[in-house]
Amino acid sequence: MAIVKMTEFSLFAFDSEKENLLHELQKFEYVHFQNLEQDKTLSEMGLRNIRVPENLVAIDEDLSRVNTSIETLTKYHQKESGIKAMKKGLDTYTFKELEQKASEIDYMPIYENVRELWKERESLKTAKEKAKLTIDELIPWKSLDIPIAYLNEIDKAVLFTGTIPKNLKDMLVEELKDFEITHYEVVGEDKDNLYLIVMSYGDEAEKTKESLRNTSFSKITITSEETPSEEIRLLEEKILKLDKEILTIDEELLVKSSKLSELEVTYEYLHNKKLRVVAAENFLGTDQVDVIKGFVPTERFEEFEKRIKATLGNAYYLEMKDADKEGRDVPILLQNSGFVTPFESLTEMFALPRYNEIDPTPLLAPFYLIFFGMMAADVGYGVIMLLGTFLVLKYFNLSEKTKGFIKFFYYLSFSVIIWGFLYGSLFGGIIPLKGLFEPATDYNTLLILSIIFGFIHIYFGLALKAYIAIRDKKYKEALFDVGFWYIALTGAIVYLLNMVIDLPEIVKTISFWAMIAGMVGIVVTGGREASGAVGKVGGGLYSLYGITGYVGDFVSYSRLMALGLAGGFIAGAVNMMAGMVAGKGPIGFVAAIVIFIFGQTFNLGLSFLGAYVHSIRLIFVEFFSKFYEGGGKKFRDFKSKPKYINLR
Amino acid sequence: MGATEFMISLTQADGGVVFAGLGAAIAVFLSGMGSAVGIGIVGQAAAGLVIEEPEKFGRSLVLQLLPGTQGLYGFVIGLLVLGRLDIGMSMVEGMYIFAACLPIGFVGWISGIAQGKTAAAGISILARNEEQSTKGIIYAVMVETYALLAFVVSLILLNAVSF
Repeated sequence: MAIVKMTEFSLFAFDSEKENLLHELQKFEYVHFQNLEQDKTLSEMGLRNIRVPENLVAIDEDLSRVNTSIETLTKYHQKESGIKAMKKGLDTYTFKELEQKASEIDYMPIYENVRELWKERESLKTAKEKAKLTIDELIPWKSLDIPIAYLNEIDKAVLFTGTIPKNLKDMLVEELKDFEITHYEVVGEDKDNLYLIVMSYGDEAEKTKESLRNTSFSKITITSEETPSEEIRLLEEKILKLDKEILTIDEELLVKSSKLSELEVTYEYLHNKKLRVVAAENFLGTDQVDVIKGFVPTERFEEFEKRIKATLGNAYYLEMKDADKEGRDVPILLQNSGFVTPFESLTEMFALPRYNEIDPTPLLAPFYLIFFGMMAADVGYGVIMLLGTFLVLKYFNLSEKTKGFIKFFYYLSFSVIIWGFLYGSLFGGIIPLKGLFEPATDYNTLLILSIIFGFIHIYFGLALKAYIAIRDKKYKEALFDVGFWYIALTGAIVYLLNMVIDLPEIVKTISFWAMIAGMVGIVVTGGREASGAVGKVGGGLYSLYGITGYVGDFVSYSRLMALGLAGGFIAGAVNMMAGMVAGKGPIGFVAAIVIFIFGQTFNLGLSFLGAYVHSIRLIFVEFFSKFYEGGGKKFRDFKSKPKYINLR
Repeated sequence: MGATEFMISLTQADGGVVFAGLGAAIAVFLSGMGSAVGIGIVGQAAAGLVIEEPEKFGRSLVLQLLPGTQGLYGFVIGLLVLGRLDIGMSMVEGMYIFAACLPIGFVGWISGIAQGKTAAAGISILARNEEQSTKGIIYAVMVETYALLAFVVSLILLNAVSF
C-alpha cells in the first residue's frame, strides 16, 4: 500500500508491427512510455524519431469532424432532467467494447448529413435576418402610398428622400418658405429623425439641395419596388416561409440527434487512436526496428511480456530491470486501500512523492479526518453530508474520479458527527445536547486539545523523517535532524509546562538540561554540510533558529478550536435571529423557518469550506514540511481520458 | 484632581457599557469592512472570468467566499460582547472589553483586504489552469491564519477575566 513498484523496460520490435503492438498495449493499459528524444546515447547511435506527422493530421481531421457534429447535435438533443441524468450517468465501456462498438459505426454519412443541414439552416437564417433588416428600413416610409418604382421613374423633377434631425425642422421650414416649385412632405419619424420626401424642379433644385445640406439632411435610397407597406407584407410572408423551412431542418436534426451516442463513442475511439499515434512519437528507431522504453508496474510485468509475445511472436527483444530507486524519471502510481484512496487527491494536490520517498496518503488520512471533523463539528451538518453523499453513492452512476471525491466527504461526515456529539452541537444547539465539551466556556480545554493534536502531528512528521533516514541507512542523519530536535523540543515543552502546573523539581532539572543538550546538539550538527568553521557554526545556529518555526507550527493548530467555535457561534446566532421572530404570529414563524434554513445552509457551506482548506493547510505546511518533498511524475496509463463515457 | 485620583475615580465609575458597546461596534465594522473590500476585489476579478467561462462560476464563488470569514469572526465577537452588556457595567470592565475587541477588528480589517487580493490572484489560476486552482485557495488561506489568531486572542481576552 504505497507507491507501486516499477520495472523499467527496453523493447526492440519491428516497425511494421508497431500498430499492432500499440493496440495490444492499449488494451493492457498499464504502461508508461519514456520520451527518448532527449536520450543522447541513442541518438548518437544513429537512431532517429519515427514520427509520422500525416497520421496525426489525419486523425485530428477525423476528430474535428466528429466534434463539430457532436456540438451541432447537442443543441438538439433533449437532455433528461438533472437528477435523472445523474442517476443514469455516463455509459460504461471496456476498451474492447469501445473498439467493437466503434467499428460498427460509420460516422462519415452522419457528419456529411449534419453538415449539409446545418449549412442550409445557416443560410436560411441569414436570409431571414436580411429580410428583417429591410423591414426595419421600410417601416418609417410606411405611410407612403405609391409604389417606390414610380418615384424612380420621375425624370423631370428632382427628388430627395432622406432624414433630418427633428430639432432642425423649423429651420428647414424657414429655408424652404420662399421656394415656389418645391414641395416637401414628412412621411414618418423615429426617435430622433424625420423622414422626408422633397421634390423640386429646375433652378430651385440646386438651392433646395443647399438648404437640405444646411439642415443635416442625410440621403436614403429606398430599396423597394411596391409601396412600402406592400413590400413589408411580402417580406413578412417570406420570413414565415423561411421560419417553416428552418423548422423542417430543426426537426431533421432532432431526429439525427439520436445518433449522438454513436458519435460520442466514435470520438472516444478516435481519441484512443490518437493516443497511439502520439505515443509512437516517444520512440526512436531505424528504418526497420523501433526502440521503445518505459515503465510497467512490476506486478504486471509478466502479463506485459505475455501480451508482447502474443502479438509479436518471437520477433522482439525485451530487456527489463527494477526501476532505479533514485531515478527522477520513474513515474509514480499510488495504490491504497479503499478507505485511503479518496485521500490521494490531497497528496496529488501538493505533489506526488518521488520514487525514493514514501506515500504520505495513508499517514495523512487519519489526521485529516480528525481535523476536518473538529473544525466542522455539528451533528446536523454531519448527518446532512452523510445522507447526501450516501444517496449519491448509492443511486448515481458516477465516474471513478467523482466517486472518489464523494466518498471522501462520505468518510469525513462520520468525523463531523462524532465531533458534533463531543461539542454537543446540533444545528448550533437548536436541540440541546449534552456534549463532552461546552465550547462557549471550555474553549481553553479545546485550545489545549488542539495544541496536543498539533504536538502529535508534528512529532509524527518528525518520526517519519527519522524512519526515512533509517530506512536509507543514514543513522547519523536520523539522530542529528530528528533525535536532537525531539530532545530539545520535549525538554523545552516540559520546562515551559513547569510554569503553568507544578511538577517535581527533578523533572524541571532534567527537562532544562535535556533542552540545553538538544540545542547544543542542533548547533553542533546543524551546519555539518556547510564548508569552513564559520559556515558550520553559522549553519548550526541557523538550524537552532528553526525552533521559532516550531512555535509558529504549534500555534497554528489553534485554528482547530477557532474554526469549530466560530462555526458554532454563527449557527447559534442564526438560531437566535430565528428565535427573535418566531414568536410573532404565523408570519414570524414562517420568517423564522426561512432564516433558519437559509442561515444554516450558509453556515454549513462555510464550515465545510473552512474545514476543508484549513485541514489541507495543516497537512501541507505543518506536517509535510517535516518529512515530505514530493516532485514525482504521474504514471500516465496508456488510455485517453474519456469525455462522454466511462472507460473501465 | 491629580492623575492618580482620576484613575481611582475612573475605576469606580460606571458607564463602561459605552466602551463595551464601542468595542462590539469596532469588532464588527472593521472586520466587516475588510471582508467587504476583500470580497469585492475577488468579485471583480471573478466577473471578468465568468464572461468567457461561465462554467467556472462555482469554483470562483469558493474563492470569493474566502475573505468573508473575517467579517464573521468580528460578528461572533460582537455577539459575545452583546451578551455581556449591562447598564451597570463598570468603567474598567467596559474598557477591558473594548481592548478585547481590538485584535479581530484591526487584523480582520487588514487581512480581509489582503486575502481578497490573494484570492483575486487565485482567480487567474482558475482562468488559466483550472486543475491547480485549489492551490490558489490555499494561498488565500495562508492569510486567514492571522485573522484566526486574532479571533482566538479576542475570544480568550473576552472570557479570561470576569469582573
